[in-house]
Amino acid sequence: MDFPLSFWDISLWLAVTAIILLITSELISPYYGKTNLLINKKRLRNVALTISIMFLITVAIRIYEIIIST
Amino acid sequence: MRIRMGMRGATSGIMLLLGIVALLTSIVYTSSILAFIGLGLAFWGAILLYVEPEEHIKKVILDASILPPLTTLNQIIQELGYKGDVTYLPPRYFQNPENSKVYIPKQKDAYLPTPEQIQRCENQTFVKSPQGILLTPPGAELTRLFEKRLKTSFNKVDLNYLQQNLPRLFIEDLEIAENLEMEILPRQVLARTSDSSSLVQAEYYTVHVRITDPICREICEESNKLIHICGRIGCPICSSIGCALTKATGAPVMIEIAQTSKDEKTIEVDYRVLGIRS
Repeated sequence: MDFPLSFWDISLWLAVTAIILLITSELISPYYGKTNLLINKKRLRNVALTISIMFLITVAIRIYEIIIST
Repeated sequence: MRIRMGMRGATSGIMLLLGIVALLTSIVYTSSILAFIGLGLAFWGAILLYVEPEEHIKKVILDASILPPLTTLNQIIQELGYKGDVTYLPPRYFQNPENSKVYIPKQKDAYLPTPEQIQRCENQTFVKSPQGILLTPPGAELTRLFEKRLKTSFNKVDLNYLQQNLPRLFIEDLEIAENLEMEILPRQVLARTSDSSSLVQAEYYTVHVRITDPICREICEESNKLIHICGRIGCPICSSIGCALTKATGAPVMIEIAQTSKDEKTIEVDYRVLGIRS
């Protein structure tokens, strides 16, 4: 009864999700023309940034582990 | 719209629920595929619920509802014969500094009344001494919205703050226009003629604003025909910038020129900021 995903699986999933969200939030930005998507862009951007930061934290943990092990 | 919103909510809810079920099942059967599916479904369900659409109205409804009050205002000024320069009054003219009003004198060349004269009849429309009219400009409420979005009062900021923050507000936050540029032109001294007692004070500076592709292009097009609106009181967007300028500078502001480009995509407005902040 263990959770089947490891820390690195979650890290990879966060990376993919962050890329998708960041691209989406940037594409629907008014700078690139209106796309008529009736969603709250500010909230989407906040989620994208949060997921990106979470991914960067996992990367930092990995780097820390590499430094410690050497 | 409400049905669409309901459908959206239900879809998001189902996705979230299925995701949680898949995640729990993945723990029981130790399946990483189920875990990824569950994680994805739960995450996107939650995102769709969180990133819900803001309330929107169709632009045609906005265009249709803005123009009639502007036409009426133009007719009233025309029929009452108020010929003087339209001046946006700064907060020191009012007991409530959050007020935004324009003053139009009866005569073409007339002095700007003192703050005390305006404060005496702040809540009246017609000013008897000196004869003039006090109106709430079409962009007053829009300026309040700007202040709310920027979480500040324009009475507490300066012109540089407006120059830095209005473009972001117009382009990114409220999506009023594709681009907005604000340029402060050097201070100028106007040579007074001896017979003139014009509102225009001796020293002034001009703030040049260029708005590209505003949402109210149709309104601007129509308000060009209203002689007391375009280039004087201003359409709601030009007027809102006028209100913001007078609050931030603490000086009376006049719309000097309002021009629309040939392709009607760009509006250029020159605001004359009279005198120095007291």
